Amino acid sequence: MTSYVEGSPVKALIVEDMAVDTLVLSTMLRKFHCEIIVAKNGKEAVQMFLEGKKFDIIFCDKDMPVMSGPEAIEKIHALGETHVKIVGVSASDNAQEAFMSAGADEFVPKPMKLDVVRAMIQEVINKKTNDMV
Amino acid sequence: MVGNRIVSAPTLSPRSLRHRRRCRSFEFRPSLPPTTYSLRPTPRRLRPPAGSPVSPELIAMAAVELKNQLNAHIASMFAAGFLDKQFQELQMLQDDGSSPGFVSEVVGLFIDDAEKITGLIAGLLDQPVVDFDKVDALVHQLKGSSASVGAQRVKLSCEQFHSYYEAKNRDGCVMALALLRNEFYDSRSKFQTMFQLEQQIEACS
Repeated sequence: MTSYVEGSPVKALIVEDMAVDTLVLSTMLRKFHCEIIVAKNGKEAVQMFLEGKKFDIIFCDKDMPVMSGPEAIEKIHALGETHVKIVGVSASDNAQEAFMSAGADEFVPKPMKLDVVRAMIQEVINKKTNDMV
Repeated sequence: MVGNRIVSAPTLSPRSLRHRRRCRSFEFRPSLPPTTYSLRPTPRRLRPPAGSPVSPELIAMAAVELKNQLNAHIASMFAAGFLDKQFQELQMLQDDGSSPGFVSEVVGLFIDDAEKITGLIAGLLDQPVVDFDKVDALVHQLKGSSASVGAQRVKLSCEQFHSYYEAKNRDGCVMALALLRNEFYDSRSKFQTMFQLEQQIEACS
């Protein structure tokens, strides 16, 4: 599967403080030729949007130093960034409710599976293709 | 010469000849002072026949044997519950060739994280007043990273920890930490054996 839509790779933002999870998820996303940027906490992620960066999909952890995932999602939505697909990712039992209340589009429990990531990227590609038609 | 007599060198017995050949295989390190020669014998199993280079066939046979050992070791880790299906996901990510060394890198990060986190937890439990919320956060981190690499026993130990810090039971937490550390050290040792075998296989190629 290619993530290229007429020469434009899927831009993915990983918001994650644990190096293990960042490496696993970024390796998965590289399989699909995504352009990957990493933020180590929610505040860094929000800062990227304030700097005008654009993303097609965000994979956001819940519990991080400085700013949590749900808090970052609320701030990103408050900036008017509603086009980006936001996926909450966590090993916590009560994370799904926190993410969906904050406005995430989807929740995926950790550890992530390659097939799940593939399906999400394909969904983003399909949406980009439809938007261009 | 002994006195006026010329004494010819004794004829060496086959046993002596074999001993002399063995001594020649010892390596001599000239960098050391003359009176402290250090001899390091070449292991017999790695020593090629005298005068001949190591054949590619021998190297290939060694690589096959090492691969068999590695597969058996990984299978035993799964059978004993050290690994779960998530580890197979990591292997799949590496096996297509686009991410060589990925598994060793991610497991290395997990080992570093686990050593740091268990040390921090021990420090928190040593305090006069234990911050159980911080203990909770650290155990949760370790649970997440162990789940991400498929280190099943460590992940299960983290889950068992939960009830003790929920109950704010210091002694229970100390005991749970000891169990967690044991599972981590066992897992680390297994991973280290795995990577040593991989390095030896790599050296054969």
